[in-house]
Amino acid sequence: MLEIRNIHKSFGGNQVLKGVDIKVEKGDVVVILGPSGSGKTTLLRCINFLEKADSGSLDFDDIHTEFKSASRKTINKIRKKTAFVFQNYNLFQNKTALQNVMEGLVTARKVPREEAEKIAKEALDKVGLAERYDYYPSQLSGGQQQRVGIARAIAVKPEVILFDEPTSALDPELIGEVLNVMKALAKEGVTMVVVTHEMSFAHDVANRVVFMEGGVVVEEGTPRQIFQSPREERTAQFLHRINRDYDYSI
Amino acid sequence: MELNIKFMGETLLKVLAGIPTTLEITVITLVVAGPLAFLFAIARAENKKVAGRLITAYVSFIRGTPVILQILFLYSLLPSLLNFLVKDVLGLDYNVFNWNPVIYAYTVFIINNLAVLTEVFRSALATVHQGQLEAGLSVGMTKGQTYWKIIIPQALVSALPNLCNTTVNLLKSTSLAYMMGVKEITSIARTAAAYGYNYIEAYLDIFFVYLVLCTIVQLLFRLIEKKMSAYKQLLAG
Repeated sequence: MLEIRNIHKSFGGNQVLKGVDIKVEKGDVVVILGPSGSGKTTLLRCINFLEKADSGSLDFDDIHTEFKSASRKTINKIRKKTAFVFQNYNLFQNKTALQNVMEGLVTARKVPREEAEKIAKEALDKVGLAERYDYYPSQLSGGQQQRVGIARAIAVKPEVILFDEPTSALDPELIGEVLNVMKALAKEGVTMVVVTHEMSFAHDVANRVVFMEGGVVVEEGTPRQIFQSPREERTAQFLHRINRDYDYSI
Repeated sequence: MELNIKFMGETLLKVLAGIPTTLEITVITLVVAGPLAFLFAIARAENKKVAGRLITAYVSFIRGTPVILQILFLYSLLPSLLNFLVKDVLGLDYNVFNWNPVIYAYTVFIINNLAVLTEVFRSALATVHQGQLEAGLSVGMTKGQTYWKIIIPQALVSALPNLCNTTVNLLKSTSLAYMMGVKEITSIARTAAAYGYNYIEAYLDIFFVYLVLCTIVQLLFRLIEKKMSAYKQLLAG
């Protein structure tokens, strides 16, 4: 469904992505792991053209484009097939929870207001925020804001949702409510690419785990392969360190 | 020295007749310069090349010269220039010197406040987090749609205190329009005072008038601010 080949991206002289390939099939839950600065977030942002990659190509269903020469129209088409959940939520501050979810439907997709409201309410109900339609982001907790962020993403019925460290800005107590929503989506068969440090999520929910470091994919496989018998020394080191620091009882 | 109270009363009434002109200059300047300034501020933020640089140059030029000089210069230049255009270039028999001088006041104040407001909106746009634009793009909105629905409304709210400041300053600086022969508050007071040399009384009158007008403007802005920034208030439920 979505395939990225040989993507490169530098910021100034700093090469962040050094030729990454990644393939996502319908229904996949791909978790990208890796230490800070390994290029995970940049990879995700390049898929959605929030960053412009220097080279590489992208196939998305019947769309084929080079990152560098993608036209504005193609970019918009790809953005409409994807949705993004941000680390710091990025909810529209001047809109209520309901309006946040409706905006992409009404403005970008020209869905009639009434229908959009219905879809938005369903999405908010699904993430457990039926009581919070008319709250502004500043009136919601971090976990609630991120759940609105997820509702905003699912409401547009994207083919794939990109999650960029969705729980990294949350208090430990609030992480659970967001992960549960994500788990429920995975069960429904929503295609997701998730950058996270939540090992338990990677282990329990992912059907594929990609380990990145230094701008390249070091290793990828099923959670079982990666967590129990990693082929690469570096992967083992990383998982070992993570597990020692935080006991996620995998 | 004694104040001529009777004169003060009479002059106050006369001066009140100048309020519409003062307000007209203020409002028309804001209505014309405001949206244009927003465009300039966005162009400056989005385009670092030619357009952005031209706007930066314009802003620093206007801010680097006194308003009074801009008035003197434009009021000397514009009428003759227009006359030259109409008579010699277009060959029309038409006297531009009959025009109401208020158009020169509009011109000067628009040129001046366009620069001031560009800066006001530039700093206001900078207060809106970059993530708001990214979020808009990520749900499939175009940059233009995101600016219109998300970024500009938020920037407007954070611009309000500076906007109030600018409006009050503008309202006060319209008093300089008397130099262009516009019959506004200050010029009416000066004319009235000149007959009997009652300048102190006349100036006291307009002190009072400007103070009342500016206070009303500030109260209005406070109301708007309260209404528009409702989404910022933490009412945690």
